[in-house]
Amino acid sequence: MIDAGYAITAIAAMGLVTYALRALPFVAARWLQSRPLVQRLGRFLPSAIMTLLLVHSARGLAQEHPAGPWPESLAVALVLLLQWRWRNPLLSILAGTAVYVVTRHFSTA
Amino acid sequence: MQTATDTQPARSGPASSLLALSAPVAMGYVPLGAVFGFLFVQAGAAWWLAPLSSLLVYAGAAQYMMIPMLAAGLPVGTIALATLVVNLRHIFYGLSLLDSLPRGRLRRAYLVFGLTDETYSILTTLPPGTSQRQITLLVLLNQGWWVLGSTLGALIGASAQVHLAGLDFVLAALFAVLAVEQWRSRRHAAPIWVALLSYALAYPLTQRHALVVAIALSIAAGILLAERGRD
Repeated sequence: MIDAGYAITAIAAMGLVTYALRALPFVAARWLQSRPLVQRLGRFLPSAIMTLLLVHSARGLAQEHPAGPWPESLAVALVLLLQWRWRNPLLSILAGTAVYVVTRHFSTA
Repeated sequence: MQTATDTQPARSGPASSLLALSAPVAMGYVPLGAVFGFLFVQAGAAWWLAPLSSLLVYAGAAQYMMIPMLAAGLPVGTIALATLVVNLRHIFYGLSLLDSLPRGRLRRAYLVFGLTDETYSILTTLPPGTSQRQITLLVLLNQGWWVLGSTLGALIGASAQVHLAGLDFVLAALFAVLAVEQWRSRRHAAPIWVALLSYALAYPLTQRHALVVAIALSIAAGILLAERGRD
């Protein structure tokens, strides 16, 4: 069981962090806009961080079972391909997860 | 995440055009919210914690990410830091919407709160002259779908225990979708190569903190590249 008090504290903290990030440009717009470095990082970082989160989470899954990283590589490649081609997040996520669950089931059975 | 937003708003009336604008979001938010609620309850959370987090956090990737972290009992500070990393991209959304958001205090405060990837991409494509009331309703409607989905998923999850190894791939898939949308809008491969290289360097150094170290390396590389790109 996840302790409810602990979960509520974490949820409140996450809510505050998320809101602060979303509000920052409205509070500090002039500062952000007057810094070319911030602008360039704004174009560079989101891509880099999403790539890192993807690699990190897939690697985490690959370490949970002996067949890794093949099911992960296959399913991630599928999601990337589907999303690039059709731009339908639901389709990409559900198809990738289904393929992952199936390949992982058969590769460790 | 990005949903197809090129749907033409219906001309028949404000209410139906809002629904038309919000429909693609609903198609994504209801099922993905349901998967979130389901996984959260299966990980050991009380069902009402799922809608609560969808009301207070309202950030898909961060909410998915918190499930294994809460299940592992990680410190709240660690969870907050991870949220910061996952949602860092949101800083750069507001910059392009500065002038188009309503002036009213409460409204503005809520709209800023509701700036998810999908809502952002819809707001950037709204026809000029959309009323402030409509914008507010649209943002509310979008969050409504997300809360509805997570509630449904949590209730389903509370009524049946399913052990399906690999369902947590959903988080990796969500990151993959967000990554593709970021790559598409940047048209530069440099961030991808920098990220992969940073991770390849960080991982042998420290498995436990590979992500944090890799992010630090990427930021440093980003600053270097930005400095060089100035001339």
